[in-house]
This record gives sequence, structure tokens and C-alpha cells, in this order.
Amino acid sequence: MVKHWWKALGVLLVIYTLTVGMLIPLRPGITAVSPSSVRTGEQITIQVAGYNSNFKKAQDSIRAWLKLDNERAIAAQSISVKDDQSVSLIFDIPEYLPVDQRVQDMTLVIDNDADGASLLPSAVFVTQDSIDPEMGQQVWKNADISNLNDKKGITFPFRNILGETIRNTYFHVSLWLAMVSIFIISFANSINYLRDPLPIYDYKAKAYTRSGLLLGILGLLTGAIWAKNTWGQYWSWDVKQNMTAVSLLIYMAYFILRSSLTDSEQKARIAAVYNIFAFVALIPLIYVIPRLTDSLHPGAGGNITFGSQDLDNTMRMVFYPAIIGWFLISVWISKLQYRMDIIHARIWNLDDED
Amino acid sequence: MKKTTLCLLALQFLMFPILNAQSAQPDFMRSIGKIYVVVAVIVAVFLGLVLFLIYLDKRLTKLENQINQHD
Repeated sequence: MVKHWWKALGVLLVIYTLTVGMLIPLRPGITAVSPSSVRTGEQITIQVAGYNSNFKKAQDSIRAWLKLDNERAIAAQSISVKDDQSVSLIFDIPEYLPVDQRVQDMTLVIDNDADGASLLPSAVFVTQDSIDPEMGQQVWKNADISNLNDKKGITFPFRNILGETIRNTYFHVSLWLAMVSIFIISFANSINYLRDPLPIYDYKAKAYTRSGLLLGILGLLTGAIWAKNTWGQYWSWDVKQNMTAVSLLIYMAYFILRSSLTDSEQKARIAAVYNIFAFVALIPLIYVIPRLTDSLHPGAGGNITFGSQDLDNTMRMVFYPAIIGWFLISVWISKLQYRMDIIHARIWNLDDED
Repeated sequence: MKKTTLCLLALQFLMFPILNAQSAQPDFMRSIGKIYVVVAVIVAVFLGLVLFLIYLDKRLTKLENQINQHD
């Protein structure tokens, strides 16, 4: 029982991922504002929809600004709270803005002592009737955004289009990292086979490749479901999706190659060589090419990865265990497969002796 | 093996219309901060693992039959 500890660890890590990954709430955020376009010199009333917010509970401490840039902001004239999820703000937009653009976007910042500060970038677009940055400087009544509150308790970050689907980091992104680790093991076994042609290395390479392929197919499927509800389509012919599909097809061809050869030693040797090439193709296909062109997928060209701002320390607390958990489960699945191959070989060897 | 492939295909054809129907009324899949997208993703992973278990089960049955014939 003692030597099976890693299987138990894998199961525990996946259970941990499922429970903690689903139970920690999202940080309060702003989902929508209306209207989102205004003209200069107007007094506007903006309806704001919050998510997980406590506008009503923290009614007395609520403050709001429209931020032009890091130094300049306008404070709300008046704030009236309807309920926890909706508040209406009145802003006086000055006659002129201190910028020379016709249309200027402004970030909405709302702060209260229960939710902390939440912001929506480019929430409001201000159209200037006439452009005069100097007049804009003179009439500008600057409000300081200071003493922002912090949200207490553990939360996951709120991203506007993602919403709760940021949790898919543990059920989609982690699968790919586990898949690459599994393919590395398969690759190492293929190299071992070429150095020392023992059948066990071939069984292991085959088993790990199959588990890696399972993870890859699940990654593609879960990615498609996620894409449908954030990018709008299951398959957007995005470079990341295409290239991962190509690399999975390369790995599927590994099994077609195996089944097309009859001599078992020849099969093992050719499959080992093919597997090395497949792995060498995998890394540029899924990690390099998507970075060179534009892609919708995070971590590709024109789109930053889930870096410092999206993957915060709370998410790392679940994300890394998730990778290890999926990896250990896959190793377990692989072990079951090659143990079957060993038994299969034993039976046929017995037949030879008869 | 053939049956597994059929199962996979059937799953695709079964699941996609269901998910499509749900997102036709954008309120369900996209309600409550799109939490049902996460649910669908977890269900997909679970079903994938179950299908793989079925495949392993079949391979094991084949092996058992070979052993029985051998005896």
C-alpha cells in the first residue's frame, strides 16, 4: 500500500482542485455600464452593474471616479445605490478635455469598504465637440483617487469577459501542462529504447503517448467549450487551436504507424524514432508559432499570457496542485496500460514455448 | 476499438447540439458569471476519463479471454 502513495496524492490533489477551485469566490467587479458613450459638457447618469458586489451593504463608504489617466480623474457628483448589484452615478463631464483626441476613453473606478476597489477599463467613451487641450487644462477639476480599500478574504481575480470561467485555468490550462509532462516521459522512453532495445521501453512510450493524447483531446474539447462562451465560436480557426490540432494529429499518426507494421521489433524501433520527431514538432507547434502571429488565445502574439495580473497568488495555490494532480492521474492511467502490455507479452511468450 | 470510436463520435454529436441549444438562449450558459461553462468543462473532462476507462476495460477483457483460451 505504501508504494501507491502517489496515486492517492493525485486523487487528493484533483479533489482539492475541484473543491477549492470552485468554492473560492470571485473578487467583486463591474460587468456593464450604460450608457457607455457621452459628449462633453453634459451631465450624465451611468447605470453600473456589479458582480459579487455589496453596493447596498457598503452604501455609506461608496465612492466613484472616471479616470482619464494615472494623474487625472473626475469624481462622481452623486451616487444612488439601488441594490447590491446596481448603482447609478452622476458625472459632470467638462466642456473641454485636456487631451487632443476627439474620442477619449475613461476608466470607471468604484470603491467601497466591503468590496475594495473595482474598475472597468474603457467604461465610458467621451466625444469632444470641439478640441482644445489648453481650455481643458483650465476647466479640469481634478479629483484624487486615494485611500482605496482592499477586499478582505481570499478571492480569485475578476476579468470582465471571463467572469467565473477564470476557474477553467484549473480544468483546461493545467491539462496542457500535464500533457506536455506526459509527452516528455514518452519521449524519454523512446530515446531509452533506441539506446537499449528492451520491450518495456516501447510499452512505456506507447502508454504515455496514449495518455498524453487523451489529455490533449480533452484540452482541445474543453478549450472549444470555453471558446464558445468567450470568443463566440467553438472553433475560430485561431492559430493556437489549429496548431494544437496539428500536433495532436501527428501523435494520432503514431498509432496508425504502429498498427501498419507487423514485425514487433521493427514496429518498436520505427515508432520510437517517430515519437522523437513528434515531440520535437510539438513544442514549436503549440508554444512558438502561436506567439509569432496574432491569436485570440492568451500567451500568444498580441495577447499576454495569464501573467502577473490574471494568475495571482490565490490562483497559483490551486493551479500548481491541479497540474500535479492531473499529471499523477495520467501516470497512473499509463501504468495500467503498460502493465497490460507486459501480461500480453508473457502470454505470447508462453505460446512460443509450447 | 471500433466501438470506442463510435462512442466518441456519438458523444460529439450528442453533446454539441445540447450545448448549442443552451447557448441559443444566451441566458443559461452565460448566466451567473458564465459558471455553467466551468461545469460543462468539468463534465467533459470526466466523460473523457470515463470513455478511456471503458477502452481499458475492453482491452483487459480481451487479455482475460486470451488467458482463458491458453488454459
